[in-house]
Parts: sequence; structure tokens; C-alpha cells
Amino acid sequence: MKTILAVDDSATMREMVAFVLESAGYRVIEAEDGAQGLDRATNTSVDLVITDQNMPNMDGLTLVRSLRELRDYKSVPILLLTTESSDAMKAQGRAAGATGWLVKPFDPATLLEVVQKVLR
Amino acid sequence: MAESKKGAIDAAQATDLLVTVASSLNERLAITADELARSQAMLREASGELMTAFRGAADRIVAAQKQEAGSMADKPAEFGVVLDHLYRAVQHLQSHDLVNQLIDAQKLRVDKMREKLGEAISLANPPVKDPAQAEQWIERSRAMLDCIVAGIRQIDEDTRVPVHKDKKHAGSVDLF
Repeated sequence: MKTILAVDDSATMREMVAFVLESAGYRVIEAEDGAQGLDRATNTSVDLVITDQNMPNMDGLTLVRSLRELRDYKSVPILLLTTESSDAMKAQGRAAGATGWLVKPFDPATLLEVVQKVLR
Repeated sequence: MAESKKGAIDAAQATDLLVTVASSLNERLAITADELARSQAMLREASGELMTAFRGAADRIVAAQKQEAGSMADKPAEFGVVLDHLYRAVQHLQSHDLVNQLIDAQKLRVDKMREKLGEAISLANPPVKDPAQAEQWIERSRAMLDCIVAGIRQIDEDTRVPVHKDKKHAGSVDLF
């Protein structure tokens, strides 16, 4: 069973992401912000990270950069799931090493398609 | 002499006007803050009820999934129908959450503006040393305006905007 780390400061958003992914048979672990996400990722083996951008303590882009510095996360897919939709922000995400960018509110079927694709 | 006295009176009146405007604005912001708080309380209550209903249905489907020990994708059609309804709810519950975050940010901005206006108004409290000197009133008005302007700048720097919702891009996907 693939493990997905969902990072978002909104409990509701984490719950939505977790439900959709668990209903498709994935195991989900959660973190409330980038700092906690980094901690969870270093202590657990994760197959995919889905993170929000605007969070307290550590934002999503900083989390992506920090994970990419870790040997175990050089090639693990990382998706940004955020309300930010500007091309400039997406370019920053790409430069930081993110695998993809999804804009909230997400469509569950689309999220599952993307997850299946990047985990292939 | 008479001209200097008139200048001081005009400057004092300008300061009074500034205090009146700042106080009046602060009172209206207090009403806005109260309305935002009430709107948020109502929205939170509704969201809470929706989440409870959602969890009830989601827990049932996850339990059914565990019983069958596999992904819902392989389950009978009725499971698929229930899941479709829940997925639709997921999309709209996210909007509730995003609106809540927006109201939080607006409340923070209004509260900070009220705080800065309060600070500016308090600068008018101590009596001026020499009321006959126009410069002293002008200095006081300038200090109040500086406080308000600095406050506005600080609010923009401090207020984290959690939601940049653009309906045109909602749900869009870019894979790099």
C-alpha cells in the first residue's frame, strides 16, 4: 500500500484529501504545516507528498526545497495543492523541484488521476 | 499676531477633525468586525454540521471498504454512487473552508486597522503645550497621520493571505 503525506494547515482540507485518497486504497499520514511535514517525511517512508503552499512555520515551497535536499526525497513526487494559481508561483514551484501544481478546490476524481499518474 | 492666532485655531480645528474622522471610522470598523465575527460563527456552525454528516457517510463507506479489503474502485455500483455523492460534497466543503480562511484574514486586517486608529486617536489625548502655536497642532496631526499610514503598511506586511481563489483556475492541474 502506497503512503501519501498530506500537509495542510486546514484540518478540513486534510480530512478531505485523506478521505479521497483512503477511499482509493492509499494510506495517508497528515501534517499541519511544512515543518511538521518535513519531520514526518524524515521519520516515515513516504511515496508521495501533497502540500499546501500558504502555511505557518514553513510554507509549501520551502518544504519542497527542504525535501529535495534529502537523499531519500530526490525523486519522490511532490504535488502542491493550493489556491495560488499565478504562473509566477507555479514557476517557483517547478524551480523548487515540485512535480505538479493543483489548484483548490480540487476535484476528487482529478486528484486521484494525478496521484495514480505520478506514482506510476 | 491676529494671523498667527487664526492659524493656530485653524490647525487645532484640523486636528479635531482628524480625531473625529478617525474615531468615526473606528466605530464603523467595530461594527464590521462584529458582523464578520457573526458571519463566521454562522458559517462555522453550518460547516460543522455538514462535516458531521459527511463523516457519518464517509466512515460507513470506509468501513464497507475495509470489510471488502480492497479499493472502492472494485466495489458494486451502489458504492460507486455513494462515493460520487461524497466526492461532490468534498468539492463544496473545500469552498466552505476557503471562505472561513478568507474571513479570518479580513477579521485580522480589520482588527489591526482598529488598533492603529486607536493608537492614532490616543496621540490626541495629552494637551498641547502651547495651544496658541499652530506648529504644535500641525505636528500632532502629522504624528496621527504618520501612525495611520505606518499602520496601513504594517497591516499589508503582516496579514498573511491564505486564499487567492481564482475561479477560472480552480481545480486546474499542471504537471511539470
